[in-house]
Amino acid sequence: MARSLWTGSLSFGLVNVPVAMYSGVRDVDLHFRQLHAKDAAPIDVQRWCPQDDAEVPYEEITHAYELNSGKQVIVSDEELEAAQPKRTRTIDIEQFVDASDVDPVSFNHPYVLVPTSEDDGAAWAYRLLVQVMESTGRAAVGRVVLRAKEYLAIIRPRDGALALTTMYFADEIRSPKDVEAATQKKHRPTPEQLDVAVAVIEELSEDWDPKRYTDGYRKRLQQVVARKRKGETVTAPAAEDQPPPAPDLMEALERTLAALSAKS
Amino acid sequence: MPRSIWNGTITLGFIAVPVKVSSAVQDKAVHFHQVHAADGVRIKQRRVCSKEGKEVPYKEVAKGYEVSGGEYVLLSAEEIAAAAGDRAHRVNLEEFVCACDIDPDFFARTYYLGAGADGEAAYRLLHDALARTGRAGIGRWVFHNREYLVAVRAYDDVLTLHTMRLANELVAPGDFDIPKPSRAPNKREAEMATALVDSLHEPFKPAAFKDTYREALMALIKRKAKGEEIEIPEPAEPGEAPDLLAALEASLSDGKRPSQTKSRASKSKASKASKASKASKASKASTAKSQSATKSGTSKTSKSRSSRKAKR
Repeated sequence: MARSLWTGSLSFGLVNVPVAMYSGVRDVDLHFRQLHAKDAAPIDVQRWCPQDDAEVPYEEITHAYELNSGKQVIVSDEELEAAQPKRTRTIDIEQFVDASDVDPVSFNHPYVLVPTSEDDGAAWAYRLLVQVMESTGRAAVGRVVLRAKEYLAIIRPRDGALALTTMYFADEIRSPKDVEAATQKKHRPTPEQLDVAVAVIEELSEDWDPKRYTDGYRKRLQQVVARKRKGETVTAPAAEDQPPPAPDLMEALERTLAALSAKS
Repeated sequence: MPRSIWNGTITLGFIAVPVKVSSAVQDKAVHFHQVHAADGVRIKQRRVCSKEGKEVPYKEVAKGYEVSGGEYVLLSAEEIAAAAGDRAHRVNLEEFVCACDIDPDFFARTYYLGAGADGEAAYRLLHDALARTGRAGIGRWVFHNREYLVAVRAYDDVLTLHTMRLANELVAPGDFDIPKPSRAPNKREAEMATALVDSLHEPFKPAAFKDTYREALMALIKRKAKGEEIEIPEPAEPGEAPDLLAALEASLSDGKRPSQTKSRASKSKASKASKASKASKASKASTAKSQSATKSGTSKTSKSRSSRKAKR
């Protein structure tokens, strides 16, 4: 099992459950190593102090913040925690929400919370929280501090465990108003256009089943590695041309719907 | 207008929607850099050839995939790009799913799509049709020589593009060893917990949550810059609620948060009573349970616990 990334307590009212947080993501990517092109020898990355002109062992490294003036302020790990000691160690459930109220724009990273205490009471409280969220269908909102950054977090039950997803704060989400979204009246679709577009979408609708989507990219990358190993030359295909916007939107819509109906 | 990082076309059958992609999030984390503790000099990363022991300039660095112990297959950027395919400028929406059916864990990164030149009407049409159906279009997106599964949906007045995690990348919570309590919560306990959930149930308003840690951290940095001494907090926190059932009762009657005033006034008597009972239970239980509770909250929990075990 992977190492936990955070330990602390999950607090629900006055009930505290000691928990550890594990990443909910498994790394399945193909990893490349930096090599020296000339001799194919692996490259080591060293932490280097330019003043001493020497490598620096990890224990001798600390963190500094650069002020606008250019002045550096060294901040130790303990001092980082001192900023808000309780916050860094506790995920305080601040409210319960309907999970559907939370827009996916703010989702960041999935984790799983696991009780750490061998104490039976902690297992009981964890179980109670899972059970009550299952029966009410509600998700909990709190915050968690990870590596000197606070995240908003949503917690919900999954397979008898508590899944936590970190989220960005509202002020970290750019305003959609700054995006060119063609909202002028002249761009608005006619009711007929909208009906046909909706019909096209309905025609192509499926139930969400994540297992259907496979990692074709990773497989192709493995093939590239295998071919290269055999000494084959691998070239990237020329990029396909971008399809131009359809001159007549209604005509394109009807053609699309007709093609789909013919298929089904 | 945010800077666009990719220009291309979303297609749906014969409909082409030219778009500009920009990030929907802006990182507001307080960033630190590594310095040498002895002299405060900023650490540099230095690439060294393991064979020659000499520094390697960036242009001499190649990517290699290790096929067996120490044997690498060298790949150029173009060869890696070959795996991404030829759809470098196009995302075809192959099918549509209910956006609300997708579990939060599948969403990786969010981008905004801006309308490209001569495609404003098509952009609006796709947006309005997605908004009306509540569906998300699923496709594949090639970005930085890598292919992503993506979902395109309507958010506010814009289209968003989400890169998606694949099912095999997610760890099932069931894979973790969740300790089972010796007895399951009974009906009364479940009712109490439900009442607590209900009392804390509110519509989600993300703007109501401010990143107070960021502010506190900046304040601390400024104090340190002025030469002030920073007090280091005690590493351990005593267990606050050794009797969980009493704590549950107390949280219900107390409401815990001042903002939860609805039921507070009428229950203040009960709150006092349960606080008192909690206090007496707590003092009894604290001796027995403090061992497991004292260290919770430190990042060394499991380590210190096992070392204490070893001593005993």
